Amino acid sequence: MSEDRSWEGNWKARLYERVRERGYDSITAFAETRPTASLVALAEELGPDDIAGVQVFSGLVAEAERNHQVTRLVRGQLVRELCACLPNGWPAVLDDANRFKVAKALGLWSSLTPTTHEECVRKAGDALLASPPPPGWCPLGPDDELLRALLPDEEV
Amino acid sequence: MTSARSVLLLALALLSTGCASWAPPPGRGMNLRYTPHEAAAPTVASTPAPEGPRRLHSRRGSRDAVTAVDPGSEEGIERGSALSAHLAFRGALDDVSVSTRHLSGALSRLEDSHGGIAGKAAGLFVPHVEYGASQLRWMDAELAAATRLAHAASEVEDVDMQLALLRLAGPRLEAAMLGSLLLAAWVDFLNLLDVAFKHGYSAVETLLVDTDRWQTRMEPAMRALASREPGQVEAAAQDMPALMGHLSSEFNRTAERLHRGLRNVEKVMLLAQLVEMVTMVSAMRFSLPAMRPSAPATLGVGMVVGGDGVMVGTRLVVSAEWVEMMRRLVRAGVLSLTTVSAAVRIQAGQVMLAEAYDALPRGVREALGDGPEVRGMRVTGKAGAGMTEPPRHHVLPKEFREWFEKRGFTGEMDIDQFCVRLEQAHHQAIHGGGNWKLGRTWPGEWNRMIMKALQDAESRLGRLLTRNEVLEIVAERMNLYKIPMNFTRWDGR
Repeated sequence: MSEDRSWEGNWKARLYERVRERGYDSITAFAETRPTASLVALAEELGPDDIAGVQVFSGLVAEAERNHQVTRLVRGQLVRELCACLPNGWPAVLDDANRFKVAKALGLWSSLTPTTHEECVRKAGDALLASPPPPGWCPLGPDDELLRALLPDEEV
Repeated sequence: MTSARSVLLLALALLSTGCASWAPPPGRGMNLRYTPHEAAAPTVASTPAPEGPRRLHSRRGSRDAVTAVDPGSEEGIERGSALSAHLAFRGALDDVSVSTRHLSGALSRLEDSHGGIAGKAAGLFVPHVEYGASQLRWMDAELAAATRLAHAASEVEDVDMQLALLRLAGPRLEAAMLGSLLLAAWVDFLNLLDVAFKHGYSAVETLLVDTDRWQTRMEPAMRALASREPGQVEAAAQDMPALMGHLSSEFNRTAERLHRGLRNVEKVMLLAQLVEMVTMVSAMRFSLPAMRPSAPATLGVGMVVGGDGVMVGTRLVVSAEWVEMMRRLVRAGVLSLTTVSAAVRIQAGQVMLAEAYDALPRGVREALGDGPEVRGMRVTGKAGAGMTEPPRHHVLPKEFREWFEKRGFTGEMDIDQFCVRLEQAHHQAIHGGGNWKLGRTWPGEWNRMIMKALQDAESRLGRLLTRNEVLEIVAERMNLYKIPMNFTRWDGR
């Protein structure tokens, strides 16, 4: 059926091995060089047959927890979801089809949010819909100004 | 003297039926003929489907919603092959529908045949006609469900999900396709009885015994096909050619008995002609010459693929269009090679009926889409290597059955249809077991995650999600978790 081996063996070791092979010392460092790529694309690059996107994300969460950069990760994840769902940027007109694309991006985003950040992610989503960004807005990374205003970094 | 003459005449008549089987299939109502119904089909045929190993569920690259798809890109190729599988599926559905409609007409004629089967012995034989009609009902229901699934497939965005939905519809088409072949044989038999009664055959008891024996013989296969359980359908498909071989020799035996019962030579001739007519429409006509050892000419004639389709000797078994249609469906994992092979062998007649699955020549198997990756796809583990199949799991959490029902997941699209087989480690991992996570604050458990994504998207949208929108979000996350998009039905265990 499937020749995928993502869940076989010690995938955590495999994940870090692949990242180091590519010259990065953390999954975060690897992922940040590709800020608009989807998690599936990141996993595809690290191991098309034996790494899953959700494993990459889990690794990113662990590193962000250690470095107190969970909010930054959350912003970065919104960037990835927006790029996938709205490749042409924020829609000018929020008709039903476009509204679904936005809702899908926000829904997918919230489902990948650490429990500690669920509340602020919900509020940020509300704020985006209440006062929409300019048409065509397409954040290119976690340092996007609008995103930082919505979800400021935590005090370290 | 009279009896010697009539034997000779019968032999001649049967030989003429034999001859009929050497002619190309008539241009109507054949179960296995494929005529492109849609104007788009030829254009699709000119874009070759991708060859060679290709992973089925995991699309490479990002999931970007590309608005203009470059036909040369991987995404473009995948869309093209999904479209071609879709068109082939519609073609196959139409084909089977044509034969079920034909059977339906034949059965209602029999029910009204007061000079024949529904005459004096109606009480004894009409239930057998009704049995046929009740089998037809489940086939029509399967065809209708398969049609709705194909329609749903054409509406979803995600290419993998499109193919997954077609694959969900595949076993239904297989069941209806094989069921209609079997039912055609049953209708032949009933027609034969009808003809016999019309010509004053009176040994009702013997015919009743024959009929019961037939039904007993046929019923397990019918039940297996009606069950829609893929394993059972597959097993029935494997046994079908042999069963059809058996049924056609039974048919011949009954025909012989009828001949003995009708002393009048003219009536024997008439009967022989009617037998020929009766069997023109079903698969049985190809297997009839098996009766006499005097037909060795057909034995040992190889089966080959040519420009016109699959040939046995000079006779066309199935058309090139049909072969192409099946090839696309087999390669897309929608139909199983076993089913398609069985259909071809049944069409090929007695030469192939008695032989094993592997007896289908390699060239023919390859033309039908066989290849290592296709075999790998269909080895569901059970039969292969004697391994037990990994357990099935709901992709759409069953605790939320009602929630999904309200969003269109009912009938052939209910959440029990969307199950996947997962190895223990994979299953544990996505349900948060086995201490797999690296982070602490994100649970990552599948059910919780997917419901959060769906419910959150819905509240942002301000209306209920449609079924396709749900599938779009689910497809996205299945890619993330590397859950194979190969659905199998929940069987309640």
